[in-house]
Amino acid sequence: MYTSPLREPLIRGNKNYKQVTDDILSPMAGKPSKYWYAGITLAGIALLFGAWATFRTVFYGIGEWGLNKTIGWGWGITNFVWWVGIGHAGTFISAILLLFRQKWRTSINRSAEAMTLIAVMCAGFFPLIHMGRLLLGFYIFPYPNTRALWVNFNSPLLWDVFAISTYFAVSLVFWYVGLIPDLGTVRDRATTKIRKAIYGFLSFGWTGSARHWSRHETVSLILAGLAAPLVLSVHTIVSFDFATSVIPGWHTTIFPPYFVSGAIFSGFAMVLTLMIVTRKALNLEEYITLNHIESMNKIIILTGSIVGIAYLTEFFIAWYSGVEFETYAFFNRAFGPYAWAYWIMMTCNVITPQLFWFRKIRMSVVLTFIISIFVNIGMWFERFVIVVTSLHRDFLPSSWTMYKPSLVEVGLYVGTLGLFFTLFLLFIRVFPVIAVAEVKSVLKSSGEKQKTTDHE
Amino acid sequence: MENQKFIQTKKLSTLIYGMIGVGILSLAVSFLIGIGGERIAANLLLNTYYFLALGLIGLFLVAVHTIAESGWHTSIQRIGEAMSAFIPVAGILMLLLFVFGGLHLLYEWTHEDHLDEILLKKVAYLNAPFFYVRFAAYFTVWIVLAYFIRKYSLLLDQSGDLKYYRKFRIFSAVFVVVLAITSSTSAWDWLMSIDAHWFSTLYGWYVFSSMLASGTAVLIILLIALKRMGYMGHVNKEHIHDLGKYLFGFSIFWAYLWFSQYMLIWYANIPEETVYFYERHKHFSTIFYVNLILNFATPFFALMTRNSKRGALILLPVSVIVFVGHWIDLYQLIMPGVVGGEQSGIGIPEVGITIGYTGLFLFFVFRSLSKAPLIPKNHPFYKESLEYHTQY
Amino acid sequence: MNRYITAYYLDEENLLKGLGQLKAKGLKIRDVLTPFPVHGVDKVLNMRRSRLTRVAFLAGAVGALLGFGFQAWIFTIDYPLNIGGKPFFSVPSFMPVTFELTVLFSAFAMVIAFFMSNQLGPGAKALIHDERATDDRFLVVVEVDDSRAEENIREIELALAEAGAEGITIKA
Repeated sequence: MYTSPLREPLIRGNKNYKQVTDDILSPMAGKPSKYWYAGITLAGIALLFGAWATFRTVFYGIGEWGLNKTIGWGWGITNFVWWVGIGHAGTFISAILLLFRQKWRTSINRSAEAMTLIAVMCAGFFPLIHMGRLLLGFYIFPYPNTRALWVNFNSPLLWDVFAISTYFAVSLVFWYVGLIPDLGTVRDRATTKIRKAIYGFLSFGWTGSARHWSRHETVSLILAGLAAPLVLSVHTIVSFDFATSVIPGWHTTIFPPYFVSGAIFSGFAMVLTLMIVTRKALNLEEYITLNHIESMNKIIILTGSIVGIAYLTEFFIAWYSGVEFETYAFFNRAFGPYAWAYWIMMTCNVITPQLFWFRKIRMSVVLTFIISIFVNIGMWFERFVIVVTSLHRDFLPSSWTMYKPSLVEVGLYVGTLGLFFTLFLLFIRVFPVIAVAEVKSVLKSSGEKQKTTDHE
Repeated sequence: MENQKFIQTKKLSTLIYGMIGVGILSLAVSFLIGIGGERIAANLLLNTYYFLALGLIGLFLVAVHTIAESGWHTSIQRIGEAMSAFIPVAGILMLLLFVFGGLHLLYEWTHEDHLDEILLKKVAYLNAPFFYVRFAAYFTVWIVLAYFIRKYSLLLDQSGDLKYYRKFRIFSAVFVVVLAITSSTSAWDWLMSIDAHWFSTLYGWYVFSSMLASGTAVLIILLIALKRMGYMGHVNKEHIHDLGKYLFGFSIFWAYLWFSQYMLIWYANIPEETVYFYERHKHFSTIFYVNLILNFATPFFALMTRNSKRGALILLPVSVIVFVGHWIDLYQLIMPGVVGGEQSGIGIPEVGITIGYTGLFLFFVFRSLSKAPLIPKNHPFYKESLEYHTQY
Repeated sequence: MNRYITAYYLDEENLLKGLGQLKAKGLKIRDVLTPFPVHGVDKVLNMRRSRLTRVAFLAGAVGALLGFGFQAWIFTIDYPLNIGGKPFFSVPSFMPVTFELTVLFSAFAMVIAFFMSNQLGPGAKALIHDERATDDRFLVVVEVDDSRAEENIREIELALAEAGAEGITIKA
């Protein structure tokens, strides 16, 4: 198939198929570098902090947190939504970019999907821990029970249970099905008996047979077709938690698509944060090129702008509605006691992504890395602003109060950061971080040398 | 069939003039048989807005595919450009409508002596002078950007000089940003303010999604029509498949936004918001459900299989259904607020005036198609589109 | 005891050309092993259109009916509850869970069908003809007609050599 010379190559270095296998699989061999050990130690310490905080919460109860009657949801739910949002990029890259035939996704989709799975695990931790009586967590599932009770299907919180569970299950399956051919490759190159046995088991008997490949492509395509609306639906259902209420700030129709855009926005920022470090550390700059970074930055402008337009729309309609409570809620966000959080959010989410209109900034790895961190900070504050400022001042002024997180709440958040980085660092040692077979399939059309056959 | 321009046949001209004639006649007859001014004004607004939106979406599709560096879309880009030719026409028609009594008939916030406390709160935005200022701003930016995008597209094709390609891209990017904002604000101004006591933050995007689905449907209809007239031979099943995927996807996206807006208002059950749907469900209930059947159920089930999207057999009728369906969608956005259940219906004004506008739209589309070669041969990605085959 | 002969190519375009030649000579190609999917091979091997799509659709329909039906039954017959004044048969509320179950059933049914139809799964034994089939080699596996083995083997070897394949090996 013809590719216009105007397109930047997606794989640099004039690679052939063997080099692709070697380059991508080599980080899995040998001993990890000292940076890896440093990283996992830091992540481990964070994880221990989280373990302590979990212990405090489970043994002493939710009183260990800074919540009160007015503000019943604070850092816990903010973190939940933040992590779920981040997880959306992986499926977006795998499914939606596949449907749009964006070949540049092939070098980032494997890691992004792994990131999704880990992020969803971190996210799922928060609803669990905020229940107080963790051991009764299974109450949320509708199974025949001696209480003769079913769950409340009218509640968005219950819809969340189904959405997040389905999302995790389908993402896992999508990631793993895609991984199987690459696991076959790892098995066939394994030098020790143990590695051969382990990857032999994990690769489920994959041989590379054309019949298997044909069905594999069909499955991938249909999974992509299913995962695309799924990823939209999950953050939509999460947004319903905050859109179905009646209090100002928690009742607005724009939330579903706005939350989805925000999720993709923060997710891509996290993918950039991870990939910029990974590509350097694992010598994969010829696969995760500046072109890839630029494409991801363009998606950041797109989704960041959508989020920005949503902010302005909400603000305008809050005035236009003539509902004084709605108008006050937005005035209070910008000028009340939590104004500092609001303006951090606006600066990070509305202003910073607009910098990517400038090509120099788009193509700069250092600036992209910095901006990606700011985006995630901004998106954290967005959820904080939505959750806390709407609760701290609603209809009854005598109930107005402030919220401050306790050390235990901070510990839980830091713990999930530790979990995230620990699992990701393990991932890069155990699995190929780039989809080997997929990259090979686009090598001829998008590699640096427009390869031809060796006859003629 | 090298690089041709479209040549308008006598048959086509007769059809188009006939349709425009039907429109003018229907308008006259509507006045004569005593159809209320509100209902006539509502129909004029509906159709002017509908075909304006088709023009904007045609241009939007060109712009978005340009900035996304899409190869396959270059083959059909002239159709989108042609649809945008209607934008200035819509501007003139809309201005005439508003100035000659339409504003008063359509919008209760113009009845300055009857403003209740809620409408008084919105007076800073909903007042005639500011309304006209915004109106002028929208059409100015749209017409200017459409002009430059078309200009550079043609210059690129005539010369092959890549500096025109860069300008084409820049103006496309600006248009996308501008449309993202103005599509919402114009929907608030012209459509949402009809029910001025009501509001919804999703409204702008909801209307946009409706027009996006319809615009894609119209693009497909125009493409198939051109192919049947012997043009666009370079467009193959792959291109059509992609357009079919868009129609499928955009229809689902519209349904998703429809559901989001409906469910959230239903769930919270706040009377000042639910009154909007109550009115529609009570007095326009058939239309309410037909809207969902035409715009969601039909494309969803009919376009699910791979083959259904690869040829005109299923794609053409579904596109026509979606085109009619989104007209119905606009109908239930406008009519309840302007006319109410008792006086409205689907009669001579609705059918006849729509036929007239369709004819007028086609007049300008075919005129634009005849002004430039249908194949943008010098577009840097055109060769990719020519040799286009996908694996799935 | 079926014998076969394997040979490989280093490039997928050569593979496709070679396959065409081998088919023309009437060779029975048992399988083709590649490091990534190569389009055109399925035609050579006369593979049917996959039925996985139908599995996905049916399973999704089952999931939808189950999800919606279950919620409707719970809220109208088994244990109706007044939640915020909403009707018992609250259709808009039922949609999110219905949608999720549709996707869940569809995805899982299809993936399980995928594993079953390919006979892949935990513990499945891979018959590895060439360890580089998952690396950079495009393998062809040709069946030997055991009734006239010696002659057939020579024919096949000749045909493979003419079609540009390398590494021709006889496997038992």
